[in-house]
Amino acid sequence: MTERLRRIGRFGVRRWLPAGFVLLIGILTALGGSAGIGWPTSAQPSAAELHALLAAPGRDRILVAFDPDVGTYAEVRPAVRAAFAQLVRAGATLSVVSFTPEGRALAVAELDRLRRGGVEEARLLDLGFHAGAEAGLVAATSRLVPAGASGALAEAVRDAGGGIAAFDAVLVVGGGDIGPRSWVEQVGTRLPETTIAAIVPTSLLPQAVPYRSSGQLDALVAGVREASAYVAAVRDDPAASAAREAERVDDAAPSALPIIAGALLLLVGLADAIAGRWRRDAA
Amino acid sequence: MRRSLPAVLVVLVGLVLLLDLLVANPTLASLADALVELVVILFAAAAVLGAVALAVRHGRAVALPADDRIGSVVVLVGMAAVLVPGLLAPEGAAAPAVRWVVGALLVPLGASLLALVVIFLVPAARRGMRARPAETGVLLGAACVMLVLLLPLGGAVGDVTGAAADWLLAVPVRGVLAGLLVGAAIATAVFAARVVFGLANVDD
Repeated sequence: MTERLRRIGRFGVRRWLPAGFVLLIGILTALGGSAGIGWPTSAQPSAAELHALLAAPGRDRILVAFDPDVGTYAEVRPAVRAAFAQLVRAGATLSVVSFTPEGRALAVAELDRLRRGGVEEARLLDLGFHAGAEAGLVAATSRLVPAGASGALAEAVRDAGGGIAAFDAVLVVGGGDIGPRSWVEQVGTRLPETTIAAIVPTSLLPQAVPYRSSGQLDALVAGVREASAYVAAVRDDPAASAAREAERVDDAAPSALPIIAGALLLLVGLADAIAGRWRRDAA
Repeated sequence: MRRSLPAVLVVLVGLVLLLDLLVANPTLASLADALVELVVILFAAAAVLGAVALAVRHGRAVALPADDRIGSVVVLVGMAAVLVPGLLAPEGAAAPAVRWVVGALLVPLGASLLALVVIFLVPAARRGMRARPAETGVLLGAACVMLVLLLPLGGAVGDVTGAAADWLLAVPVRGVLAGLLVGAAIATAVFAARVVFGLANVDD
């Protein structure tokens, strides 16, 4: 009976351990800086770099290369929307293009959100889906605006050459097959003056970091930690206006908490797997 | 001849695109542009053919009693749910029905499937510890360290984990990845050279 109770107790502790950890982190976060723990702040260098790059003067015409992955988009969505909010506040125009079908589907939803959020139609340009993967990206360096696109922004891009060079900066939202690596390799080599910034999920972090370190990417926000810091940077921006829905910045905490919970669950499971092996070896 | 024709085509196309990067010549540039356009059209045609082949394959599976009929029906209905509203509505992919399928079905399904990785990784770790304890131990140890360091935390604790994560990414991880990228580039260049000199075929 005692052994059975001990077994049940042990199982219960192990089962509730991740939840306990999350609760502890929640309490410590609520206590704020006094407990030495909290959400990432805008002081994070990568977040500050992206914020400064998008806030720099002359960033009026921004190309958003929207190719996230459906599975990991939830991880970077707060940072992507924060970037849109920052650009909308700064009065920039947003031209959105996709080179993957998944990216196109998600881009349509985000464009719709921006329109519903009060961004003027004249400041948005839907460049659609470009087929051909990396070959499509190469072709886009000289021809990006579809024949059917109309409006002042489309004409302005055409007048400036009609390709990627017509934009002041490119914001790559990665996660799918066409991400920062493709942009650096295919566009960066052909148009070295192009300013390329990227927001990618943690899964692309190791792949994108070397390009940021070498300076081929001008700014990089990768993973939840940096995304949370960037969201904080945009949220704390004094230029924020409460008038427009499109300028609203989601709090990163709701997306970060399940990640912390999942990570802790995984850690406990992995530790249990290692401990199980040791126990078997000892026996 | 049949085996060498693709190699010759690859070499010619590759050389034209490479020369276009090195030499500023309008004729060469228009030739390179035309080749890139051709590749784009081939990609689009391959995508359409792939979708048609998938529909035909699952259409046949629905007709045959031995196959997984339910799975095939789900695939066909899923394709139709996106294709039909997209083709019928003047807005195309921006049609509300397509947006609903993407926002309410595809994105949550994709995120849920990815979230299952957490669940399946633990049994995989257990099996790995049974089969190859040393290698799996190193792998799990490294994964645990990175997992903790990449947690979205701030404050004094976040500063420490952030600094450690930045160092790990900037020094060992970057070193390994840069080595991998350079190694892959060298291997690609060597293979390309072997193809050019006829020492290897493109399908090797």
